[in-house]
This record gives sequence, structure tokens and C-alpha cells, in this order.
Amino acid sequence: MLNIKKKINNMNLIRFRFWFQIVAFALIVYGGYIGLDLGDKLPTFACVFNGEGTGGKCYVGMLQHDLKHPFETFIGYGGFAFLISLAMFAVWFWVLNKAWCGFVCPLGTMQDWLTTLREKLKIRFSEYSWASRGKIKSIKYILLILLLIIPVMISNSVLGLPKLPNGLSMPFCDICPGRMLIPAFTGNFNQFYIDFTSKTDLVMTLLGMMILGIFLVGAFVKKRFFCYFCPMAALQYIFSKPALLKLYKDGSKCTKCGDCYRACDMDILEIADDVTSKNLVTEDCTLCLKCIAACPEDGCLEANFAGKTIFESTKEGFILRMAMNNQKESHE
Amino acid sequence: MSNTSHEIESPNEKQNRHKAMEAVKLLNTLREDFKSPILSMEYFYDLFERVYCKHESLHEGKTKIGTMCIQIPSEIIYALDGVPIRLCNGFYTDDEIGSDFMPQKACPLVKATVGQFASGNFTDKPDIVFSPTTCDQKTKAGATIESFGYKIYDVDFPRTKESEASREYWRRSVKQFAVELSKFQGKKLTKTNLEQAIKKIGYAQSLYHKISEFRKHEFVPILGLDVFLITNAFFFDKINNWIEATEKLVNELEQRVRNKISVSGKVSPRIVYTGSPPIFPNYKIPQIIEESDAIIVADETCSSNRMFNDMVAVDEWNIYDMMDSISDKYLKGCTCPIFTKNDDRIRRIIQLVKTYKADGVVYQAFAGCTVYEMEQRSVLEAMEKAGIPILYLESDYSPSQGGQLSTRVEAFIESLKTRRRNKK
Amino acid sequence: MKYFAGIDIGSTAIKISIVDGKKNLLGSRISASGSMFYKYAQETLDALIGELNLNKNDILYIVATGYGRKLYKEANENISEITANAIGARAAASEFGEIKTIINIGGQDSKAISLDSDGNVVNFAMNDRCAAGTGKFLDVVALKLEIDVETLGESHFKSTGTPLSVSSTCAVFAESEIIGLLGNNHSIEDIICGVHYSIAKRIVKLVKRVGVKEGIYFDGGPALNMGLVHAIENEIGQRIFVPSNPQITTSFGAAIMAVDSYNYENS
Repeated sequence: MLNIKKKINNMNLIRFRFWFQIVAFALIVYGGYIGLDLGDKLPTFACVFNGEGTGGKCYVGMLQHDLKHPFETFIGYGGFAFLISLAMFAVWFWVLNKAWCGFVCPLGTMQDWLTTLREKLKIRFSEYSWASRGKIKSIKYILLILLLIIPVMISNSVLGLPKLPNGLSMPFCDICPGRMLIPAFTGNFNQFYIDFTSKTDLVMTLLGMMILGIFLVGAFVKKRFFCYFCPMAALQYIFSKPALLKLYKDGSKCTKCGDCYRACDMDILEIADDVTSKNLVTEDCTLCLKCIAACPEDGCLEANFAGKTIFESTKEGFILRMAMNNQKESHE
Repeated sequence: MSNTSHEIESPNEKQNRHKAMEAVKLLNTLREDFKSPILSMEYFYDLFERVYCKHESLHEGKTKIGTMCIQIPSEIIYALDGVPIRLCNGFYTDDEIGSDFMPQKACPLVKATVGQFASGNFTDKPDIVFSPTTCDQKTKAGATIESFGYKIYDVDFPRTKESEASREYWRRSVKQFAVELSKFQGKKLTKTNLEQAIKKIGYAQSLYHKISEFRKHEFVPILGLDVFLITNAFFFDKINNWIEATEKLVNELEQRVRNKISVSGKVSPRIVYTGSPPIFPNYKIPQIIEESDAIIVADETCSSNRMFNDMVAVDEWNIYDMMDSISDKYLKGCTCPIFTKNDDRIRRIIQLVKTYKADGVVYQAFAGCTVYEMEQRSVLEAMEKAGIPILYLESDYSPSQGGQLSTRVEAFIESLKTRRRNKK
Repeated sequence: MKYFAGIDIGSTAIKISIVDGKKNLLGSRISASGSMFYKYAQETLDALIGELNLNKNDILYIVATGYGRKLYKEANENISEITANAIGARAAASEFGEIKTIINIGGQDSKAISLDSDGNVVNFAMNDRCAAGTGKFLDVVALKLEIDVETLGESHFKSTGTPLSVSSTCAVFAESEIIGLLGNNHSIEDIICGVHYSIAKRIVKLVKRVGVKEGIYFDGGPALNMGLVHAIENEIGQRIFVPSNPQITTSFGAAIMAVDSYNYENS
């Protein structure tokens, strides 16, 4: 048992995660071909537009769809069904917590691939200044509110405003880069279009195209560029507290060396500087666990599943991962 | 006017003899006065004897890069084919020479460093000196040393470490340092040489961590004095030799732990040592502690723990990220009292007390080391709050102070023993 | 003929010098001071007079000096050993050059005396710590090392290693330090060398209190120990002058003083 624990703590997380993401990507993008269907309440971007290939469907798409009904529908059974859906989403989410983002999300994975490419080309990554980092934090909540309100406004007049056109029934999907990119992996390029049928469609599809471009360029220069703005992350964070998988920190062991912060793709400052909180799953955290792998203090950071430590920072593991063991080549 | 016939020593010879006498005194104590000596320590005793008693040069033909403080990244120096020589000095002989150039109440460590430069007497004379602007005295000492005709390059160091600005500022300083050194050495920093240097130093640090691990045991296999000597050796030794000797030592310690061979007694109080760094041969206070039947199990000083504790962690093994990682390592984890506030240092001490099951803390400040003297109050308060006994001492390099210091230390250690007995 | 005597009664030895009216040293004698200063001083003086074939009445004037000077009632005058030492040193070294500083290590104290160009004492310092840095210290060391105190100098130059310093100022504690060093099989020569340097450092500190000047004269019994002389030269960074008979400088000075006093009184 101790041996297994040691092996896990000594693992090369980067490699493990790389392969885990590939498998997850395959299941979500191509799983449908082998009959996999994880339902339509998945807390990750398993794209509904992916047709046969998809191994499950994204709840955010579903959520917009569910909200496009008159208020009356939500009284009684309709409301109950809505809550069941939401609960299903939450249950899925609670298993992995934000690790859905760090280990499963195909959009996240694609961004990580772009990061690897950039790294191979020896191009430095960009960072936000701390001030702008603070400012952009709220964008994902604004997007979430919009994607919740716009569908509601199609069938209902909110605050006496006129109803919105039907073309906005899935406003986020329109601009989500996943809608175009994920089907493309199954050879389906049908989503690359500009819809001239109505003004709304034209604007939304054009916006989608632009955002796709920004997504590709952004993820190339900035690690996990899109995740800062992701409304899924915002929605998830609301349910994060009771989740089973956790990132815990023992602040007394922290030397604030900042290794974890630098490993963090999301530039979360708290991971290094907060020495009082235990739960370090913050709003932008993707639970990629890179911080644990980069921490040189025994037991300072740990991934905890339902009260059990499954992976924790150790000096030994750190040294192995940094390949600092057994340096024999001469430097004389 | 004279009628005697023997040759009189030159000033350098005299200085060397004085230093040799200081050195050999400590080395003899380490070799002879403690029970169950460690065989592989002989390498280190011999190293210090060769360098400080026989004045052997270790790095002939290499470019020696002098560093005034631990904040100058040795990774970059090794990558650029230099040998880092840390110039912190513990010799009373040099302290006395330096007294002519600095205020009377200045820190003996800085005075000794300045004194050595004033004498110009080095076994491995630095070809260029990089001086990070850490504490006031070191910062100002740079200019004094420059006036003796040395090549000094100041490296800007911030006095806070929390802000984004300070992080950026320091990263830029380190880059500038690398550029200067690269120019001086006529060599380019590459991904390969920097990566190798990082990993080599990381490995050396991992060996230190292994030694520390052994010190957590109930049967402490190594003296704190010996550990100070090992870490001091890292200031100037050939890194490969150091690594090899330390590997051997780690193996021997492993054996000793298995066989429960201890250098301390069963009731010997376990001490965490903090404050101004003990630099060879000024091990006055550690020596008093360990001669009074206590054992130093851990320390929080820049000559030892602080220098080895934090390792460079790189996310993307390209120069840009390696450089940032190096910069961050030397700034972010540092618990030097020069920083504005220093809760980190207090947390570190408490953490060390916990993990090494220490009975108390000895906090030593050099008379004249203002920052440590100032921080003493807050640390004492915090320790009191945490229920950790602590003794604060002021000392200098003079050899004559022993009596009253040892009385204080002994009384403290006895009180720790009594506490322990009462607990049982 | 007119003869004059200077008697220096120290803690370990009595030194007597006799000079003629032209202040030429005719002879001197040293004996242990033991328990009865007066008696021994008298005996020594008689012996010296006999040795020089003089008549006791030829000694016209006697000046006593040293730690026991007041006990010698026969003296016409007594002066402090500082003054006597200064006069004696200048006279003894007159053909070599001018004396500016005198180091005197006695049996139980050590002194540094600073002179002006006329030979007047301008400043002096004495050790304020018991036997530390005195001849007694060397006696204790020799006793512990089981060697003759006269051979200390010889051993000093045989040292090949780093001198092993003795940090205790107190002779009693130093003794136990030396026992410790011997227990660990360190070479006796390195220990002796270290002891010399320990004394030398202390002496140099003393000299620095009165100011280090060119022209240093070293006298007193321990000045016979060339190892110690060498150690002091190294520590002070310049050569020093050791008279051929370093023990009698003070009594010589006292004798010269006797001539002057006699001449003054009878002029």
C-alpha cells in the first residue's frame, strides 16, 4: 500500500495527464461510434453538434435549450424536470470537481496541445498582469448570466422588454469554439459557416468565427486562454464546495516559494500566497494538479478524494519530476 | 632595530596563520570532542584544513565569481562555466582587519568580508564580484570593496517579495546579471547548459534534504555543527567533489540511523537554530549548544537551510521559464529579515520545530546585524504564542566572550530538559 | 673608586647590577627571590661584590626597584620599575639605536612602556589579568608538557603544523586546555607554538594601548625564549631588540639612577 502511494506521488503527472486527456478526448469526441452515451448532462464541452461521434453531451447546451420555455412550463412537472437535470449535472460534476476542466474537457485539451506546440517552438508564454487578471475574472459570470437570460427572453418578456428572436435559442453555442472544432475532429466541417438567413444569425455566426480565431491564437500565446472566460467554469464553481475531489493545502508547510504559482496555467496567485485556506479549488482552478507536482514540500498540497489523499506533494516526487536525481554528468 | 635573526611574517602570512589557528581550533573540536564521529565527515574536515590551514587553492585556472549573498543564482554561474565563491566570512582575523573600514558597530560578517578584500589575501581570489543589494551593510560594503580595486557589480534586489512589481524587478535584475556574466565570460547561456546546472544544483539540494530527513529521527545521527560545515563547504568547494562526499555521507547516515547510532544523548534537548548565519569558523553558539548536551536538529539560517531548502521548479524547460524559475526561487522562498515584514520566517521556524520535534529555539543575532536584531521581538512574541521556548543571544566574532554566553545557553538547555521531564 | 648598585627585587628573581661612575656595567647577578627578599637580596649583593673583588664600602649609592623594593631598607632610594626599566633599556641599547617602546614580561606581570625621544616615560600599560601573558604562564605550560622551560624556544621552531591556540586567558584554565590537546595526541611543538602566539597576541594588545612605534626593546626573563620573541615579532609585524642579558635591564637602570642621584646629591 505504501509502495503504491509512493509510486503515485512520484509519478510524472505531465505524462499521466497527457494520456488521460487523450483517452478522455477520444471517449468524448469519438465515443459515440462505440456506443458510448454518457447522457446530456455532462459538465464539460462534449459537443452536441458532433453528431454520431459524441460520447455524451454538454449540459450548458442543454441548459440553454431548457430555459427557452415560457415561465408557466416551469411550474409543476417542467420545473421539477429542470431541477432533475441540474441535479444530474451537479452529480456528474461532484465526482471530478473542476478536474473536468483539467483532465476531460476537449477544449481544454486542445488548448494544452497548442501550449505544447508553442513550448516546442521555444516561444515564451504571455501572462496577464495581476491587475487585468483581476478584472477579467468577472467576464465568465457575465457570459453565464447572458446564456441563462437570453433563452428565457425568447419565450418570455422580461421586465417588459420585447421577446428575443428564436435564433438566439442557444446563444453560447453560437459563439463556442467547440461547436466548430469538436465536430471537425470527426471530419465534420459543417459548422464552419456564416448564416445569412437573419441578422441575428449573421451576427452570431460571425461572432462565433471571430471567437474561434481568438481562441486559437489566444491559446497559442497564453496557457488555457479560453478558460478564463468559460461560463461552464462559472456554473461549475457554484457547485464546487461539496464535490468529492479536492485540492487541499497545508499552509503551515508552505514556504511561499511560488513554484506552484508558476506551474499554474491559470495564474492563480492564491495557490502560492494563501497560507490559511485549506480548500484551494478557486473559481478558475482546473484541478490539473500541476501545482501538486511542482511543490517541493512534503504534504503541503494534496489531491483528496472523498476524504482520502490520492496524490500529494513530496520532495522525492518533486526531484524525480524535475529530473534532479542522480546527476552524474560532469560540470567541471 | 633588531638583533634577532628569524624571518618575520609578511602581513598576509600573519593573516593566514591567524586564520589557520582559528580554523584548526574548530576542526580539532569537531574531530575530537564529540562521541561517535562520522567517518565520511573527514572529507569536509580535510577540505577546510586544506583551504584554511594550508591555504590550498581549489579552482586554479577557473573563473571565480564572487557572490556577496545567496541571492546570486549559482545555476547561472555554473551554466556560464564559472565557479561561484560565496564571500560571507566567519573569521575574526578578517573581522579585525575590516574594522578599519566600517563603523564600529557594524556586522562582523560584513566586516570580515570587507577585511578579506582589504587584505587581498584569497586562496581563490574572485575575478568579479556580484553584490545583491540585500541588507544595508552588504549593499554599502560593495562600494568599499570596489575602492580596493575590485570589479564589483551590483544586482538590484527588492525589499518586498509579495508584489508583482518586486517579482518583475528581480526577474529583470537576474536577467541583467546573466547578461553581464555572459559578457564577462564570453559564453552564451543556452537551454542545455542552464538546464544541466539547474539539475545539478537541484541534486545537491536533494542530498541536503536527505541529510535533513535523518535529523528528524529520535536518534540524531549527525551534529548540527557538522551540517553547518557541510553547507559551508558548498560556498567554495568543487561541486562534484561536494556531491560525491555528501553522497557517501548520506549512505553512512542511513547506516547509522538503521543501527541507531546517535551523536546525542537520550535526554539531549533538540534545538532549532535561527538568526545570523554561522559561517566557518565562527560556530561559537552552535558549539556551545552542542557542547552543553543539546543537539541542533534543524536551522533557519541563510548559510544552511535557506540556501538549500527551495529548489528551482521549471514548468517549461526553455531558457525563458528557467530564468524566471531561478529568479523566483531566490526571491519568493527567501526568509531573510531584510524584507519588510516576515511572517514567512516565523511560519518556517514553527514548522521546523514541529517537523523536527524540537524542544526549543536558539535565536542568535550578530551584534550589528540590525535586521535580525529588529526581528527578534516579533519572533519572540510569536514563539511565546505558539508555546515554543526560545533563547535570544547577541554575539560577535571575538573569541573571548565564551563564558557568559555558555552560562546562558546551558541554563536554557537545562530548562528544556526540566520541561521535558515534567511533561512525562 | 666609586661604585653604584641597582637592585631589582622581582616576584621570581632578584637581579643586581653594579656600575662604575661612568655608568659602565661591571657585573650583575641573579638569584631566586624565594621567601625572604631582604635576606636573599643582601646575600646576592655580597656575593656580587665578592665576585667583582670590590669593597663593600665602595658602593656609594644603592637604588632599589621592583615589586619588593620597599623591603630593602638599605637602599638609599627606591624607584618604580617602570622608570628603572626605561633608563636601563635606553642605556643597554644605546649603540643600536633609539628605544621608543619597551616590552617587559616578568614573572607575574607584563608591561608595555612608551618613551619619548628624551627617554621619558610618556605612557605605560600593565596586564590586568593575573598570570596571563607572564613568565608564570610559560612555567605552567612547561610543567604540564614535562619539559624544561628553557627548551620552549627550541621546540617552537620545530613546529610544522598550524599553531594550536590556547584561548583561555587564565593560566589555570589554559592548563586544562593543554591537557585536552595532549590527550588528543597533538604535537607538543604545535602546542608550544600556539602558547607563544597566545601570549604574543596578548602582549601586542598591551603594546597597542601605549602605541606601537619603531624601536621596540624586549626584556624580562621570557625574552630569553626565542620562540616567544619570534611570535611577538610576527604579531607586531616588526623586529624587536632583545638585550644579551634581558633579565637585568631594570637593575641596570636602577644602578644608573644611583649614579645620577649620587652626583646630584653631591654636586
